[in-house]
Amino acid sequence: MEQGTASEGSTNGGPTEEFVEEWRTAAYNCYSSGHKFCREVCPVMQVTRDEAHTPTAFHANVVAMDEGHLAIEDVARDYVHCTQCGACELRCPNTLFTGDFYRYRTRTVDLVKAARALAVDHGIHQPGWQRWNELTDSAKSEPVLNGTPVSQEHVADWAHGLDLPVGGETVLFCDCEAAFYRTSVPRAVAQILRTAGVEFGLMQEQWCCGGPAAEMGYVDQARRFAEHNVADWRAVGAKRILVLDPHDYISFTEDYPRYFGEDYDFEIVLVVELVAELLREEKLTLSVPVERVVTYHDACRLNKRKGIHKEPREILRAIPGLTFKDVDHVTQWSYCSGAGAGLAIERPDLTAEISRRRVERAKALEIDTLVSACVWSERPLSEQGEIQDVEVVDLMELVAESCGLGD
Amino acid sequence: MATVLRTLSDSLIDELVSICGEKQVLAGKSARFNRARVPSPFPVHRWEDYVPDIVVLPTSAEQISEVVRLANRERIPVVPRAGGTGLSDGAVPLRHGIMVDVKLMNRILELDLEDRTVTVEPGINMLKLSQELRPHGFIYPDDPASYPCSLVGGRIGTSGWSLIGGRYGHTRDLVISFELVLPTGEIIRVGDGGGKKVRKSSSGYQLKHLFMGHQGTLGIVTEATLELVKRPEAEFSAFYAYPSYLDAWRATGDFARSGAATLAGVVLFDEWKVAYLRRDDEAYIPQPDRVKAVVALALYGNEDEVRASAKRLLRIGKESGGTYLGDEISQGDWASRHDRYATPLHGRLRDGQVAPMSWHCEDASILYSQLPAVREKWHAIAAGLRKRFDMFDDWGMFAYTNGAFKPWGDYLTEIDIGIWEMQWDDESWAAWIDAKREIARVALEHGGSITACHGSCREGEVDLVPEELGGGYEVMKKVKRALDPLNVMNPGKYLLDGAYEEDET
Repeated sequence: MEQGTASEGSTNGGPTEEFVEEWRTAAYNCYSSGHKFCREVCPVMQVTRDEAHTPTAFHANVVAMDEGHLAIEDVARDYVHCTQCGACELRCPNTLFTGDFYRYRTRTVDLVKAARALAVDHGIHQPGWQRWNELTDSAKSEPVLNGTPVSQEHVADWAHGLDLPVGGETVLFCDCEAAFYRTSVPRAVAQILRTAGVEFGLMQEQWCCGGPAAEMGYVDQARRFAEHNVADWRAVGAKRILVLDPHDYISFTEDYPRYFGEDYDFEIVLVVELVAELLREEKLTLSVPVERVVTYHDACRLNKRKGIHKEPREILRAIPGLTFKDVDHVTQWSYCSGAGAGLAIERPDLTAEISRRRVERAKALEIDTLVSACVWSERPLSEQGEIQDVEVVDLMELVAESCGLGD
Repeated sequence: MATVLRTLSDSLIDELVSICGEKQVLAGKSARFNRARVPSPFPVHRWEDYVPDIVVLPTSAEQISEVVRLANRERIPVVPRAGGTGLSDGAVPLRHGIMVDVKLMNRILELDLEDRTVTVEPGINMLKLSQELRPHGFIYPDDPASYPCSLVGGRIGTSGWSLIGGRYGHTRDLVISFELVLPTGEIIRVGDGGGKKVRKSSSGYQLKHLFMGHQGTLGIVTEATLELVKRPEAEFSAFYAYPSYLDAWRATGDFARSGAATLAGVVLFDEWKVAYLRRDDEAYIPQPDRVKAVVALALYGNEDEVRASAKRLLRIGKESGGTYLGDEISQGDWASRHDRYATPLHGRLRDGQVAPMSWHCEDASILYSQLPAVREKWHAIAAGLRKRFDMFDDWGMFAYTNGAFKPWGDYLTEIDIGIWEMQWDDESWAAWIDAKREIARVALEHGGSITACHGSCREGEVDLVPEELGGGYEVMKKVKRALDPLNVMNPGKYLLDGAYEEDET
């Protein structure tokens, strides 16, 4: 049973006051709306059915803090229940119907990040997240959930035998999960790019992008990691950063510009968009038939956070032999793997259930393969796919296969 | 400022845990504060007055029954809550107590394609349900403004109203039967009579209606058998502009009386509503000045029937002097009907500044003939509020055809009032309550009802319910006392505490 806490219910001054000050208007915009249309598209709420896990509650808590009814101690655990997928922001009538006019957008994801940071600031730690960030801090890459050892000396092991240079104008950033867990994805990407004649190198010393730390509220650590990576890019003369994972793409296009302002002058290129372009320009040819019946899982951070849903479909339709049963990207606002924003660390039960439902929906389409474009989603989806007899593959793995590439 | 909250004793909490399970009992502050309000105006400065003592998330009728029996034994109030999206505070605890939140009960229990019913638990949402029905070619057409988030249990508890009720009926027409836990803990099923899928029976008292729309004062729904409706082949919607309210009102009557069986609804927007939409709605900003009032209508059904009806209604639109607003508004605005017309950012202070305002619609059932007179009186009340407090804003009025299948006699009539809730204090709150009572009084003076869809158990209008119902209200009190002898089921609503005071005297 969830326990009551003995908070004083005051804002306690300092960081809480600043937090309330920053979020007051946004909180009232949500509180006043009362629509709650966000609720049934929220992947977490769909499972827990708990009103305290809704975007409405995340905003109303700020109003209650402003009125002196709640303190961060009372609500910190609630804010764990979010994958930062962004569905609620899109489904919010304030964004949908007046956003353009007022240049306003509901920003639940940023609010959740800020509330988590406020909790950390108050010394309120979620045990799993605290351990995760300590391990990341010491190894410089995120720990991998299945116990694969992670260390800086092995961060480029995935590229073994590919002879990739270090440095150059274009650098490929390899996500932690890809580097240590699903190494087939970065290998596929590297080989595809090489086939298409794209020149690129690796970083001297790649650290975690820092995004997960920022998502869990460990903002200082996130910033330190960002500073390291940017310094490394500059040291090797990089101007263009290729990104294969949507989570890193968010870090580099949203967090880093906030940290570094105008000095941050790197071109950030999403590999999925680049590959679609290479196909259009016929620098890449997909000729080997891939005999599969597939559907596509819209990665939340691409579809809902960045509005990128056309290119993955364009690529899938270019693969010969493939039968593609699509579900439109708006319907997929309410889908998720449950892997994002640390939920899999603190509430693996919820991640598993969210993924189970996602795979079940795919299975109902009578497919044999669920294609994703997000390495982080592929672990929980694969676990459920094994149970439900659906294979989960990455889009780039399919592209490599169709290019006749392979290890 | 410390907030001191009461809660239940440890032994009672342990008992609830033994009934519902460890994870289904929530005693934390945020779980309780976040279930204290609904979207209707809320005295944020007195939030703690409405916080439940504890929240339970049961997963079966038996668990709810045991919780209710415990509440009777200990004389603790029980407050049912489904979506918490109602506008009449049914799900707001007025006396604290145990909140029974049914959202975890959201399964589809049986889909009967032969007899065309679907049996569900009360925590399921209608949009989600219709998504599941889609592959089978069916919909469940209970379509309130809160369609994407309200839940079946709350629809029954409030006897909800549907935007396409003219064609398909409202909640009471779409719910065939349901199971509920009575205020004393017994589990019963009510319908028209007979088996749970029988639509029409003459056997005994018609209890289905008694146990709908009671705002949680007569029990907690635990299962419902609903009508399955064939997915319509065709949808047609049209928006017409008129140079004056009276022109639009006359046209509304003509459309509604057309006799088209596919007609789902006719909606009249008055000059205030059009002026309000001109502030920032991209469909209305470019409209010429002569557009003073708007009438919208929608048809659903088989394609051949919709085509023929549409032709007839287009002719009425032309003959009534309406200007067709084009396919984009007609289709787009109708498609976005659930969330287009009320966003907080539309709010304006007297000097024109934007302030985040809650949308609140005061609703009533008003006879067609009385709409013009009621409209003037209601706007005058809203103007009085705005003059005194620069936190209220008149967002105009809607009138929708109200009757199911015979949508011509009376209208769900709303005045939408924006309220900047950050500004509440006791004085403005009291003025708001007075205004609500005045709005309700106007409805009664013109032969209407205080409410068509929300319920009338909130502060202000509730004072007039005995007057509206007359002798029926006395029966209501007797029923309440007979079914809930200890007044544990959502006490404080509909002035029903009065039923027990009479016992004492």
